[in-house]
Amino acid sequence: MADVLSNYRTGDAFDEMMDEVGSVRPSYKAVYSALSRWTSDDLRLIAESLANNYTQAGVTFDVDGVEQPFPLDLVPRVIASPEWEIIEAGVAQRVRTLEAFLSDIYSDARVIADGVLPSQLVTSSTHFQRAVWGIQPGNGVRIHVAGVDLIRNPAGDVRVLEDNVRVPSGVSYVMTNRNAMITIMPEAFANQRIRPVAGYPTRLLTALRKAAPPGVDEPSVVVLTPGVYNSAYFEHTLLARTMGVELVEGRDLECRRGKVFMRTTAGLQRVDVIYRRVDDDFLDPVHFRSDSMLGVPGLVNAVRTGGVTLANAIGNGVADDKLIYTYVPDLIRYYLREEPILPNVDTWRLEDDDAREEVLDRLEDLVVKPVDGSGGKGIVIGPRATNAELDALRRRVTEDPRGWIAQPVVQLSTVPTLIEDCLQPRHVDLRPFAVNNGEGVWVLPGGLTRVALPEGELVVNSSQGGGSKDTWVLSPPPHRSSSNRGSIQHHDNGSDHAKSQTDVPLIVARPPVTVMPKFAETQRQQEGQQQQASYRSRGC
Amino acid sequence: MLSRIAESMFWIGRYVERAEGTARLLQTHLRLIIEDTSAHEVTACRNLLAVMSVDHVEDPNLTDLLRILGYGAAEPTSIYFAYAEARDNARRAREVIPLDLWECVNATWHQLPTAPFGTSGAHVFLNWARERSAMFAGIARGIMVRDDGWQFMSMGRSLEQVDVTSRMVASASLAHGSTQWPAVLRGCGGHDAFLRTYRGLFTDREAAEFLVMDARFPRSIMHGLISAADSLQRVAQSNALTARHAELALRSLGQLRARLEYADLDDLLANLNHEMSVVQDVMAQVTIAVSTSYFAAEEPRAWTTEGTR
Repeated sequence: MADVLSNYRTGDAFDEMMDEVGSVRPSYKAVYSALSRWTSDDLRLIAESLANNYTQAGVTFDVDGVEQPFPLDLVPRVIASPEWEIIEAGVAQRVRTLEAFLSDIYSDARVIADGVLPSQLVTSSTHFQRAVWGIQPGNGVRIHVAGVDLIRNPAGDVRVLEDNVRVPSGVSYVMTNRNAMITIMPEAFANQRIRPVAGYPTRLLTALRKAAPPGVDEPSVVVLTPGVYNSAYFEHTLLARTMGVELVEGRDLECRRGKVFMRTTAGLQRVDVIYRRVDDDFLDPVHFRSDSMLGVPGLVNAVRTGGVTLANAIGNGVADDKLIYTYVPDLIRYYLREEPILPNVDTWRLEDDDAREEVLDRLEDLVVKPVDGSGGKGIVIGPRATNAELDALRRRVTEDPRGWIAQPVVQLSTVPTLIEDCLQPRHVDLRPFAVNNGEGVWVLPGGLTRVALPEGELVVNSSQGGGSKDTWVLSPPPHRSSSNRGSIQHHDNGSDHAKSQTDVPLIVARPPVTVMPKFAETQRQQEGQQQQASYRSRGC
Repeated sequence: MLSRIAESMFWIGRYVERAEGTARLLQTHLRLIIEDTSAHEVTACRNLLAVMSVDHVEDPNLTDLLRILGYGAAEPTSIYFAYAEARDNARRAREVIPLDLWECVNATWHQLPTAPFGTSGAHVFLNWARERSAMFAGIARGIMVRDDGWQFMSMGRSLEQVDVTSRMVASASLAHGSTQWPAVLRGCGGHDAFLRTYRGLFTDREAAEFLVMDARFPRSIMHGLISAADSLQRVAQSNALTARHAELALRSLGQLRARLEYADLDDLLANLNHEMSVVQDVMAQVTIAVSTSYFAAEEPRAWTTEGTR
């Protein structure tokens, strides 16, 4: 019996490793067997070496300007292949829907004319940007990268918690986590096929290149960062580095007559596509916040005249507004004529008088979230709030019902997590990342699993001191792989482990390694003899 | 290459070299001060700090010296400060620096001393500081592509090396009476090479000649001037548009080179302090010229006009 797992007790939540009768789920067999060979001393050593690696490599997350190592837990989150296929399809479906929605509301807004959405819902969203109304991106893509947050409820169903189509972050940790895990759990990798994540930068770069303004053959792509003190700066550098493009700050860029240039040692150089990790409000002091030091004056005009493409597009925030979120299932039916693959979490819209009354009545049982928040900011969890906090919340909701939504408290699923020196269940969520290149939506196999480290904690957010786990999507058994996964797999370098074994040619007949000619042995002996009188005892 | 990144590369080169140079200088003189019991501690420390352009401390003792040049996080002349700045710049240029080099700089920063130490701890720290710089230079030489980033880094390194060696040379004339040249040569790691070059027969004159003019010795002033000019020329070739501004920097380097090459050695020795200040002034001028040519942002444009167009 496993030492470190002997006290593993699952709670009310769905546990990803153990089923309700306490046996190991099939997807976790390999991980479980690796874990059961370890003692708590092993766990401690591994955890220390993981932490040191990350500190050394500067894999950090800035909290209030101080770099914090981003804790990686050593037990992965494993997703079986059939389940992943559902998640993949569901995430892609949402991205396609939100693309259609954005394209619609920034042009003739049929969705409002057809009565699916009330118009004030869109116009009252703080992230609806009139400045970009009527702009059609070159290849029609506004959501080049999306992160869709998923949770699993106690019944075992996967549900969508929120969409992130502005500047979703976290993908860099997916890549660094994988690199770290291969070194600590090699046997678990050897015994099953885990789908690789290293293809992400190539996918992203391809999508960005395809988004270039019309007529640009060899687009110059850059990543725009707010700067070294941004919480996700590590990620910005990693993406720029792995895509082989420049990482620029606002002050490196300059707009001239509707084109964007970067300042280089050789003068100004044209920029065609900007993967920006700066929020809308700070992008252009001319159109948005005039006090922004991070933006580039004239950028919005350059976008309008087609001189440059921004990824993601300006104004996407209206699509991940949490009140719009409640309409996404309707939008899926409206735009795609499909049924939603991944359901939402039940949500109350507080502008509705009856719903608001009900929610205000039982605030202590619910989670209340601001509609435009991200990073776990402003969330109030009823059962954990004090009476004073609930009263304050009640006032704020009554004053601005458009600004809030309410959801039941969902017990997120749990995964074994190293706490002190034993493994205990901790709540997790999952953020898969999707890349839209205009021809199709690709979903990175896996995504960022975030884990809330305090016992019973349900808010899993890196800016709230959470950790992360590597997410393993298992490959389908070999006989299914060719028929099910289609042409996309061709680009996934390394995903075809089985094939590579036979393809490696054997190396034969190399000339021997050259070494420096040495004096003859007799000379060495003579050299030695010269000192024998005084150093007799030293021997050879 | 982005101007901002070029600037970071230049300063990474300078700061890492400064850390090493400062460590060498400090190590050399700590030893001299401790060995030479006749020397007045405050005078010796004040003179050494003056060589490093520090004049804000009254009656400095060895503790002040170690803080100001060694572990003081808030002292712009300290080794601590140099490595912290190198790391900050490396973080800003993270995407153009090889992973190994970044980890070297980052690990150095993590290992910086968190508490003051005395003269006994200084030795370990100064050896460590020199080793980290050597490791940095080795990794950089081994894996960096010789692009503009490399050239700017080398340029910074060379200019700093000239500056630091000039201070080292100036420091040789600090003590009256007993000659400090052997210690200074040892501090630069060139004592044995010097003995081989001059067959063991030398005076101060030869020592100064070796450290100032012998381009074969990589810590000599002449070697630094030549390699700085080389980097400048290469950068000018690959950035033809902006190159005309760099002429000033090249000219200053060339003039200094001629001044030293044709100097009368006796005059040089007699005015050592002054001549070395000239060297330091030229390094400052060259830095300004390089900055305005390659790093400076363009004139801020009136964004209101760009916005309404």
